[in-house]
Amino acid sequence: MLTDEVIVRDLYKSFGETKALDGCSFSASGGEVHAIVGENGSGKSTLAKILSGVLHPDSGEVSVCGGRPHSPIAARRLGIATIFQEVLVADDASVADNLFVGADELWVRGAKPGPRRRRAVDIMRRLAEMEIDPNAPAGQFPLSVKQWMVIGRAILAKPKVLILDESSAALDLDATIRLHHEIRDLRDAGVCIILVTHRIAELVRICDRATILRDGRTVATLEKADISEKNLMTLMTPQARQSVLTKSRATPGGAPLGKAVMRASGLRLTVAAEPFDFALHKGEIVGVTGLDGQGQDHFVKALAGLQTVAAGIPEVMDDAQCTAVSGLAEADRLRIAYVSGDRKRDGIFPQLSIYENLAMGLYRRHLVAGCWISKAPILSAFRTEVARFSIKIGSPFNKITSLSGGNQQKVLISRAFASRPRVIVLNDPARGVDLGTKRELYDELRRFVVGGGAVIYLSSEIEEFIGFANRVEVFRNDSLSGTLIGGQVDEQPILAAMFGQAPTEEVVFEDAESVL
Amino acid sequence: MSRAYPAPRLSLGNLYYNGAVALLVVLLIVSAISGPHLFTMDGLAGAIIVLVPLMLAAMAITPIALVGRGSVDLAIGPLVGFLNVTAVQWLISSNVTSPIAVIAWVVCLGVAYELLQAAIIVYVRVSPIIVTLSGYLVLSGINLVIMPKPAGSVPDWMSDWGSGTTVWTPVLLILVAGFVVWFLLTRTAFYQHLRLTGADERMAYASGVRTDLVRLGAHAIGGLFAGLCALAYTGLISSGDPTQGSNYTLSAVTALVLGGTNIAGGRGGIVGSAIGAIDMYLITYVLSTFNFGIVSGFVTQLAFGAILVMALLSNIFLTGGKAAVR
Repeated sequence: MLTDEVIVRDLYKSFGETKALDGCSFSASGGEVHAIVGENGSGKSTLAKILSGVLHPDSGEVSVCGGRPHSPIAARRLGIATIFQEVLVADDASVADNLFVGADELWVRGAKPGPRRRRAVDIMRRLAEMEIDPNAPAGQFPLSVKQWMVIGRAILAKPKVLILDESSAALDLDATIRLHHEIRDLRDAGVCIILVTHRIAELVRICDRATILRDGRTVATLEKADISEKNLMTLMTPQARQSVLTKSRATPGGAPLGKAVMRASGLRLTVAAEPFDFALHKGEIVGVTGLDGQGQDHFVKALAGLQTVAAGIPEVMDDAQCTAVSGLAEADRLRIAYVSGDRKRDGIFPQLSIYENLAMGLYRRHLVAGCWISKAPILSAFRTEVARFSIKIGSPFNKITSLSGGNQQKVLISRAFASRPRVIVLNDPARGVDLGTKRELYDELRRFVVGGGAVIYLSSEIEEFIGFANRVEVFRNDSLSGTLIGGQVDEQPILAAMFGQAPTEEVVFEDAESVL
Repeated sequence: MSRAYPAPRLSLGNLYYNGAVALLVVLLIVSAISGPHLFTMDGLAGAIIVLVPLMLAAMAITPIALVGRGSVDLAIGPLVGFLNVTAVQWLISSNVTSPIAVIAWVVCLGVAYELLQAAIIVYVRVSPIIVTLSGYLVLSGINLVIMPKPAGSVPDWMSDWGSGTTVWTPVLLILVAGFVVWFLLTRTAFYQHLRLTGADERMAYASGVRTDLVRLGAHAIGGLFAGLCALAYTGLISSGDPTQGSNYTLSAVTALVLGGTNIAGGRGGIVGSAIGAIDMYLITYVLSTFNFGIVSGFVTQLAFGAILVMALLSNIFLTGGKAAVR
């Protein structure tokens, strides 16, 4: 084994009352892919930020390539490049500027603009498989392309240590495989790769070693042979919750369906798209998926009244009457709740407290004399929801940004539940959320549909649907291209539908397996 | 699945100062009709004398706005006044009249003051708008302490700057010098850092840009322009004046916004601010050619306000919602 490039010993870091790291130690060497795994709030992101010099530990020792990363500049000089969980892209700046940010000294340019633009085009062609104008402002591209820009930036920095914090979250399956190729190439070139991830499947495929964190403490470091989903789950989860988790892969209720609650006929997402029919029944969990940008996102937003469609507005069926979901206000009145996966943009109010973020939608419902907010019922709803998802909070009046990413997402999901909805539409809610929380979420959603609700669940991770969704709708070219019911909900058929029946799934998985 | 994204058209439609140029064209046409005197040698000479300090003031606050965090340097007006009264009262009254000494004084003091402001913003972590508002108030007071009422005179080499008999005055040279400094700056790595810091400070910081130094640098450049502005302004009034300078704050901010610089940072430049300043001058000029009598001052203010709002609205429509003020 090579010398250790990254050494972390007894790291402590707390934010106010929240202990993020509570005695964390591990080491990683060049030429290995080292995973950092743990639940939400287990301190993974904090660890990544300390390694990249963004945060300072309260105490403990960090050594990367023989130096201490006390600031992002120092980290960069030591040869550390980090791809953060947030997609840090300046919308107003050009693609080339975004790719080469930090590559210059304060006054001295690292390279001339001309060659830089060419390298920007090259790397984006290689990573995103797109021809991109390097002078175009970065803001005009979708999230997945921005994610590639951030990855490209890190690769262009020619790091000795590369830290990826949930970096595949915004990528679709096909793109994730390309990212894995890049990671392997870098590893073979002797780079030390620290992979912070929730995607257990990803980790099992690609990692050489894994360090498991629980509540900010190192629980164990597993060698490659011991890395399996079962081992990881056992180590990650506190003992008390394990009983709940083991029963997760139960067969989905293929039970008789209730009455239809939502319906759309002749729905066209865009003028040019094929029309399709859709119905959602009481007691049903419907998965929605597709390759990146095939209209699935538009579809769920249309169901929640957030986006308009070209024809066939979705309707909510209530006993005898149908009401069109013509807009957000109407959706709210019809009790359709929406949870966004892009919490930074569409989810949280970063300046407000945890309490306000959760109770946001409730103020209007608990009014005294038509204008005064009555606090007691809102506070009790807040307590119920916090307990339901066991959200780790200090004080309810701390800013929401004091919580870890996963806990912020829990607050947003709780906000939806607190509004007592009839239908919950979730748009990739599990992005950046650990397995334990996911399972809690699945259990809650199951309980919700048993109680007469209905769920629309968009995800780009197929594994999420298995054992959970009653039905999966697959989108392609802005239209519904396939529906998989009950037993058909499995990786292979869904993949086949996503790729339009081409037998690509073999390619995908052979490729993934061949690494090991 | 190789997809090509269309390259944005590099037409005039993408320039941030488009609106300011359109307004300039309209105003030039209107002034050619209602006040052709402007286009004579005399008219132009007079215009340049008045215009250059305003342009330089708008240019001074541009790098500070570009670096982000909503830094609008409200202190610019009193700062120009401060540089003016200190140069006249302390330097010139004690017979230090050499051009080098006077220029060095206003430029260095301007840079020093802006560095002080930046240091408070960066190290004490006070919101820029509060710091610059405090600067406005403090400097306004200090100016009156140093020089209670307009007084003093300027050295001989400066005395004919304000006469406005020819276009080719040293004042024009100062403006040209300002542009040259700026265009050299835009070719440096520092300028890239400045724009990236303004566009997304967290990203820049996390990627290893020394955002604190960049902010200090942006203010220093602003201070340099403030010094040049004070020089042109002293030439214009040929004396020291503790209060007149303060008027530049609102004019400079208006010119900045008219010129299309995003107050939230990252987008804009001094060319826009300079054109915005010319627009403002022409608005005043055009209105003065109509006879509004005693209320003309109010009409000018009203016109500034209305045009500013329209400029912002047109920005919103042109950029599809993501406008100057976010």
